[in-house]
Amino acid sequence: MTLRIALVVALCFVLAVAESVVPFVLQLRSARPDLLLVVVLYLALHDDVMQGAALSAAAGYFSDLTSATPVFLYTFLAVLTFVVLRIAGSGLKTEGGAQSAVVAFGASLVHALIAAAVFGFFTGTGVHFAPVPMLWSAFGTALAAPLVFLLLRRLDSNFVHAEESGGLR
Amino acid sequence: MGSLLKRYREPLFVIGLLGASFLAFFVNAKKGRSPNTVERFLVAGMAPVENFITWAAFGAVDAWKGYFALRSVREQDLALRRQNIQAREIESQNAELRQENERLRRLLDFADKQAPKRLLVARVVAVGASPHSHSVRIDRGSDDGVTRGAAVIAPDGIVGTVAQLTGSYADVQLIVSPLSAVPALTQRTRSRSTVKGTGDIQRCILEYAARTDDLQEGDVLVTAGGPGFFPQGLKIGTAVNVVRKPHGLFLDAEVKPAVDFTRLDEVEVVVEQTLQPLGSTP
Repeated sequence: MTLRIALVVALCFVLAVAESVVPFVLQLRSARPDLLLVVVLYLALHDDVMQGAALSAAAGYFSDLTSATPVFLYTFLAVLTFVVLRIAGSGLKTEGGAQSAVVAFGASLVHALIAAAVFGFFTGTGVHFAPVPMLWSAFGTALAAPLVFLLLRRLDSNFVHAEESGGLR
Repeated sequence: MGSLLKRYREPLFVIGLLGASFLAFFVNAKKGRSPNTVERFLVAGMAPVENFITWAAFGAVDAWKGYFALRSVREQDLALRRQNIQAREIESQNAELRQENERLRRLLDFADKQAPKRLLVARVVAVGASPHSHSVRIDRGSDDGVTRGAAVIAPDGIVGTVAQLTGSYADVQLIVSPLSAVPALTQRTRSRSTVKGTGDIQRCILEYAARTDDLQEGDVLVTAGGPGFFPQGLKIGTAVNVVRKPHGLFLDAEVKPAVDFTRLDEVEVVVEQTLQPLGSTP
């Protein structure tokens, strides 16, 4: 289980690098996928509460390290999003690629609303929703979600097989 | 008590995690601090990878453009030569004007209170990971003399300020970030206002522009200057969607940034220069 945690954290590191380089190289204006949010979504739907919340905090922390905002803002946002998705998503299924894309689209909108509310509250400027960039970002996240889910499923299935055969612990 | 804690350990853990991250964020936002050893270590691992990927990707694009897509280069070359001649003429006129300005300043005994500045060219290596972050990472850091809060500009206008620093890299908060506010002047009327980020990469909002100001659509906004801010007179953007309400002190307007933040590859950081004694100019 410790190895699985380390691998999820390593995946978050790789996704944070991809998330900060790919939109820059491709000069994406709005349809920027939030790959770390997809990880938080996966954790909210599949992991147990304590481990999922802690790994979501780690994913948020990687966003903090590249975001030029006061540190722990995105950590806080990631854990808050995990809680909201956990409560709201108990009935959701993400078996196939299309399902995960649809759920990621919704999750991205929820995350954007929470982010706008938190930013508005702390900057004192009031809550400004920018619906068009929000929708484009959700669209990009939905496109990327099946791939990230596939990576995480592969990672988890390897652990299930290893544990069934008495291997990794 | 033990069984109660065991029963509610999951919600307690999550509430604790939320509270701890919120408290840490709140303290950091209030005090502001430099990255600690762990954060420096992680950024030192992350930034060179980003730098390498960016370098390789743009290198491939440059190779394609430089060797394979050379059609119509001759026509472009001729056009650029003509532009170059025109630019040299303008430069020569500007040099004359600079000298004249200097003479007039001396005649008026004008003393520039601001410390002299120098511009440090930096390459953009990545953008903020989250789509909500509005930041870019540049390949210059505290080892190059960059400080927190330093202004970052591009040929088209202002970009943002340095928010986080390590030895070799710096994270720049863009002016479109909701955490950014820049004192502004309307170039035509010289009236003051503040350009505030909204989180939308294509627009900011104009605050504290008096309703009586003659602000028009398309008016250019420049930096107002002042200690700790951008140097005076740099382009911020143009005023759009100006709405003059029938009552209230201020008008509503938006600002379209002069810089296209998705196409930034090189920027300049304004760094303080140590004062040279008079007469030691090279």
